[in-house]
Amino acid sequence: MRRRWLAVTALVAIVVAALASTAGAGSSATASSQALSCKSTMKVAFLTPLTGDAGFLGNEQLSWAKYAVKTLQKQYGLKIQLLAGDTQLSADLASSLAQKYIADPKVVGVLGPSTSGAVQATSQALFRAGLAHVSPSATRTALTKGNEKQATPAFFRVVPDDDIQGPADALYMVDKLKVKKVVVVDSQEPYSVGLANSIERTLKAKGITTQRESVNVNTSDFSPIVTKVPGDADIVFFGTQQPPKAQTFAQQLLEQGKKAKLFSGDGANDPDKFKVPGSYVSNFAAPINLFPYNKNIIAGWQKDNPNATLGSFGPPTYGSVQVLFNAIKRACDAGNGTIKNRRDVIKQVKKISVKNWILGGSFRFSTKTNDPLNGRFYIFQIQSNGSYKLVDPTIGS
Amino acid sequence: MSTLSVLFDASHVLASQRWDEFLQQTINGLTLGSVYALIALGYSMVYGVLKLLNFAHGDVYMVGAFIGFGMIQWLGFRGAGDTWAPVVSTWFVLLVVLAVSMAGTAGLGVAIERFAYRPLRDAPRIAPLISALGVSFFIAYSMQLMFGSQQRDYNAFGIDNGKLFLDGVDIGNVRVPLLRIIIIVSAFVLMLLLWLLVTRTRTGKAMRATSFDREAAAMMGIDIDRVIVFTFVLGSALAGPAGVMFALRAPASVTMGFVAGLKGFTAAVIGGIGSIPGAMGGGLILGMAEAYTQGYISSKWSDLFVFVILIGFMLFRPQGLFGKADIRKV
Repeated sequence: MRRRWLAVTALVAIVVAALASTAGAGSSATASSQALSCKSTMKVAFLTPLTGDAGFLGNEQLSWAKYAVKTLQKQYGLKIQLLAGDTQLSADLASSLAQKYIADPKVVGVLGPSTSGAVQATSQALFRAGLAHVSPSATRTALTKGNEKQATPAFFRVVPDDDIQGPADALYMVDKLKVKKVVVVDSQEPYSVGLANSIERTLKAKGITTQRESVNVNTSDFSPIVTKVPGDADIVFFGTQQPPKAQTFAQQLLEQGKKAKLFSGDGANDPDKFKVPGSYVSNFAAPINLFPYNKNIIAGWQKDNPNATLGSFGPPTYGSVQVLFNAIKRACDAGNGTIKNRRDVIKQVKKISVKNWILGGSFRFSTKTNDPLNGRFYIFQIQSNGSYKLVDPTIGS
Repeated sequence: MSTLSVLFDASHVLASQRWDEFLQQTINGLTLGSVYALIALGYSMVYGVLKLLNFAHGDVYMVGAFIGFGMIQWLGFRGAGDTWAPVVSTWFVLLVVLAVSMAGTAGLGVAIERFAYRPLRDAPRIAPLISALGVSFFIAYSMQLMFGSQQRDYNAFGIDNGKLFLDGVDIGNVRVPLLRIIIIVSAFVLMLLLWLLVTRTRTGKAMRATSFDREAAAMMGIDIDRVIVFTFVLGSALAGPAGVMFALRAPASVTMGFVAGLKGFTAAVIGGIGSIPGAMGGGLILGMAEAYTQGYISSKWSDLFVFVILIGFMLFRPQGLFGKADIRKV
């Protein structure tokens, strides 16, 4: 008798568990197909690292996202609540956060993810859920290009990819810095290796002598590698997503009396952490104060963030919000005041064009990929006071 | 004749460059090895007295680095825009930073011994080992909660306009920066003081007696509890400056203790766990091996090589280079 009760209890438990799991799946499918009135408060989720070594990037982006949501929702006649999710530079965390936002029926679009690894980890799920995701900073080329794209058709980015950054950096070294010998160092992770490969390829094609080195991503003391840098090398390119490591590398070059200057990519772009004078760093955004029409935007953001300095990662976030809100508005108009399905937003994103784009010029997506048309990278040199000075717009974009 | 002369000159230049590179890698290895030696000493001393592998020792080293970060910001970077403007001289600031980190990590060592190991002193040996791992995670995650996972840069380059990096001594064509000299000399001074304490003082004699035979030492009137606490104080006090010395050259982070602890343990095993000269020698050997591997083979192989050395020693010479083989009489 007792065994029978146990068997019945176990059977009931299994059935309940099965029902619970199917109910969960059903609810996410329902979430994507629920119609949403554009007069109600809709939500946009933002996946970015707010803590950890990349926290500087996420926090800067978040400040701009908040400002953009506050100002642009009025412009587009929308009511949008911003939800910020801290990915901590972890693909696993990004996936969990994505699932959480997918299950929320009021989420109509996603800002980010900010980092390429998080895009790769979440794009499939977001695509299946019909959520457009517009990134202000994920630059890995393979996300949108190549035979096996790592992101889906629902992924868009407002910044150019590393295949543009690599040649841009390399051609600057050749044309402006007149280099003869360059040491290219990667830190054995996809962003770094991809960028280093791209730079090495371009330099070799131009007949420049290159030496390739590699360090473990967890390495903090680069002395043995710095010792290998030839005395006549002009530049050491070090691709890293951790600005303190670029700082350490540049310091150790000076410590060992090397002539070569350090050149790093957008991953090291942080004036607070990487500030050895004479070093170079590239980024996908020029200083937005170069464009007079940004004056009010900058003033408004500074009023909301009085202690913050104008950086390079924030303004593309404003642009991403602009693109997403524009698409949401268009989907609302097409649906007569209702977003019948989240996928309607995806359909509109590609059609967006913006005049007086915050990053300069005008903006539209390429017809071939979900990347910006005519994207470019910019080169900065670190000055004696640690500030970043734009030395040349990208060459060969 | 002129062709031969050119070839001779070229080979001479090449040999000279190779020698300079070798010398520089040796200095790199000595710098790294000095830090590993200080960490290894903590492992060796605690194992020698308690037969316990204190896996939390790497995290004590990490805490030392963070204490140093706080002190150097507070005492040194007091100028406008966080520039270097110490109230006293730079040398005094650095001395105080080292001393405070020693005191801080010594206190942490006492706390670890009192709450995590003493209650398990007579338990089966697996128990304190598990406790050690637990303490390690506890310290690391506590630090992460308090300070976040962002790296902390001492901004040593901002001290006296980069003096620590740009000034130094020339050996041939190789410049040995001031900071490297400070690290190597400080580490050797600390190791020497420790060796003198252990070999020339009554307390050191008590430590050696306890290490040899704890029960007999107790019967001879030695306060074992006090000796054990003192051992933890000494070992942890050395980990603090090791953390400061590392962080003066590379950013500190809450995760830095794990790998450094493993390498310190490896160094202790190479030298002979329980042996103080062994820990010093093992640390230096490990540092050099790492520098030469990165310099002449590939940095991809560096960490792998270190742990292959560990396995090799465990298999073929478990007593290490300077330790004594454990002879059991049947």
